[in-house]
Amino acid sequence: MGKRVVLKQNPPLTTCVGCRTCELACSYEHHKTFNPKKSRILIAQRERAINFPVVCAQCLKAPCMEVCPSKAIVRDSKTNAVVIREDLCDGCGACISSCPFKAIFMHPEKNIAIKCDLCGGDPSCVKHCPQSVLYYADVGV
Amino acid sequence: MKFKYSGYTGRYLWVDLTSGEVSKVPTGDWRAELYLGGSGFGTKILWDEVSASVDPFSPENRLIFATGPLTGTIWPTAGRLQVIGKSPLTGIYGDANSGGHFAPELKYAGYDMIIFQGRSEKPVYLWIEDDSAELRDASHLWGENTWETEKAIRQDHGDDQIRVASIGLAGENKVRFAAIMTSGRAAARAGMGAIMGSKNLKCIAVRGTKDVEVASDEFYDYAYEIQHQILANEYTPNTSRYGTPGLVTLMNEIGRFPTKNFQRGDFEYADEISAGVLEKEFLVRRTGCFACPIGCGRAAEVRNGPYKGTYTEGIEYETINSLGARALNRDMASILKGDQLCDSYGLDTISTGGVIAFAIECFENGIVTKEDTGGLEPKWGDPEVVLQLIEKIARREGIGDVLAEGVKRAAQKFGNGADYYAIHVKGMETSAQDPRAQQSYILGHITSTRGADHLKSFPCIDETGYVDAAVERYGRQYLPEIVDGVSTKYKPMVVKDGEEFGAIIDSAVVCKFGTQFPPCYYWPELAKGLSLATGMTLDVAKMKKIGERIYNLQRCFNVREGISRKDDTQPKRILMESGSKRAKGYSAGPLQEPMLDEYFELRKWDKKTGWPTREKLEELDLKDVADSLEKLNRLPNLQAVNHNR
Repeated sequence: MGKRVVLKQNPPLTTCVGCRTCELACSYEHHKTFNPKKSRILIAQRERAINFPVVCAQCLKAPCMEVCPSKAIVRDSKTNAVVIREDLCDGCGACISSCPFKAIFMHPEKNIAIKCDLCGGDPSCVKHCPQSVLYYADVGV
Repeated sequence: MKFKYSGYTGRYLWVDLTSGEVSKVPTGDWRAELYLGGSGFGTKILWDEVSASVDPFSPENRLIFATGPLTGTIWPTAGRLQVIGKSPLTGIYGDANSGGHFAPELKYAGYDMIIFQGRSEKPVYLWIEDDSAELRDASHLWGENTWETEKAIRQDHGDDQIRVASIGLAGENKVRFAAIMTSGRAAARAGMGAIMGSKNLKCIAVRGTKDVEVASDEFYDYAYEIQHQILANEYTPNTSRYGTPGLVTLMNEIGRFPTKNFQRGDFEYADEISAGVLEKEFLVRRTGCFACPIGCGRAAEVRNGPYKGTYTEGIEYETINSLGARALNRDMASILKGDQLCDSYGLDTISTGGVIAFAIECFENGIVTKEDTGGLEPKWGDPEVVLQLIEKIARREGIGDVLAEGVKRAAQKFGNGADYYAIHVKGMETSAQDPRAQQSYILGHITSTRGADHLKSFPCIDETGYVDAAVERYGRQYLPEIVDGVSTKYKPMVVKDGEEFGAIIDSAVVCKFGTQFPPCYYWPELAKGLSLATGMTLDVAKMKKIGERIYNLQRCFNVREGISRKDDTQPKRILMESGSKRAKGYSAGPLQEPMLDEYFELRKWDKKTGWPTREKLEELDLKDVADSLEKLNRLPNLQAVNHNR
């Protein structure tokens, strides 16, 4: 089993409040800029103030990895994260449509797909979550 | 060409609603250097473009939606939107500030601000998608409430991440205290929503995918440090858990909780409308604005009783007071219902509660009769009265049409001594701080550039006595009076400092939370954060000068509109009647003028007129402003006075 970024909350008090600090941390960590479109974690905001992260589950049997025609999606040996090799990705988007969690995104400028790589084992989103509801934990999929 | 400073997009949108023209204009280095962003930008534009003859509802008024250099970054609370225009409620400088996610999205689309002028012939909305910005027909949205408007826009464009700032019925009907709403968050005060209505602008919808860059890599780590400074503050956990409703009990205990139209500062049934009750019976979930580590928002619903099914986001202290204690209403469910109605119609809950309490007291004293109200009996403590009046105001129906004008105009219309019950400064209904029990507000409400408002100076340290913050910010030598709520000593200094710090906060743009309350960080930290973000060298002295420049220019705008010291006054009731609890025996009457004298001295403004002096204005690089005020005979001629002697 592998570790991944998960939400653990206990509403109404302990909850994701939808501040999206995680998106900003992710964007800066990976791209040195603040742009939620370059974040690999997305806070989905629904009616009745429901907020939850959309982020890669690091599936053990990963559909994205299977469908990628360029073999650009590989498993990181250290963290077991499912990662996209930018040099191999041709931006076809097959992985995006294959993901059951909708957790792979198109980079807004470059023709590549981006997704959570667990920041090499110290996810910046978890570190920056001010409500402390994001965890880097082994919960299995 | 790339903008000289980071943190800005370097361009803004200029929209002429009359011609339908939308242009992209360079922001200008000078603007960032002299006015920083947000409120500063808006103030300068109003001064330059909206003269004294312009009616707030005329096409010549401007409406500015501004971000600041921190907007869209990870700096804690950097998600706020500043809206600026000449206020239809007060006729002077007006602004309103809202949390949510709208302002960052505007920045990601690549704009520092939007300036609207003119008036569209038919209802329109501005649709912004990165570089594309155009006016579109909004006929199908006219009449919709604010939540439905957002939903329709998202559906029409097939994108649920679009951010929308809209008006409801109240803005469309030009209720003079109509708000602009963004997902249940309000840019509420001073009638900015009514300006939108007068321009036939239903909403702005924005989607952006661009970067917000900062100058130094160190910014990211420093913002994290500040986030932790906020989280570690002793007052943050309660602010997160209870939000501003946590103040209800606290303020009630010290007599600072306006009750029965400011007849008292404590409410017998405050326990029934407290944060504890809200949490236990109504809370659905805590919510927070963009990049905020505190999360003061509350999603709440009514689960049984006559208001069952009511759902609202963002119920807070001011609303609980204005729709509750102000009208002696102790029914929390009805307050939530009232909040939901105000959000849907786009009404400022503070002014709405203010006019309702005013109407009730006028009715009690026979100034308003059942004939005037169309059969409704506005009585104290009746939740239905509050809710029905909200409906009437939003629709401008019957007596609602008069109340929609605000207490000052309504009192003029009613006559017969109604003005005694009109609790306002310069036409703006007073927010929920009984100034007799926190005497920094005797001054703060009257020197606020937008009328009776707590957020311009936001002097929190004498609220319940924040000794550590007072020592850290001002020094030990001012204890104990500086933290004593019923002392006026040193308060002019605190108010002046708060107004200038506040001007920077509203220009950065960040929240008063984390800065003023809880008092987590102050001038030095904000100066460092802004320097790292922009690449400007902003030390505390430079920042203070920018803050002072902005505040002086707001005052000058008001002076040009005819404001002088005679307008800087608390309403008669506050001047003459005693407060309650710790304010028992205190009225503002004997305290106000000495505080003003000291304040004007600190500001180097003329004590007699309250007008800024040439000396001060030139020191703030506002020589042109001094020149034009001189032409209008609104510049104190101190030398001539001395010469004549």
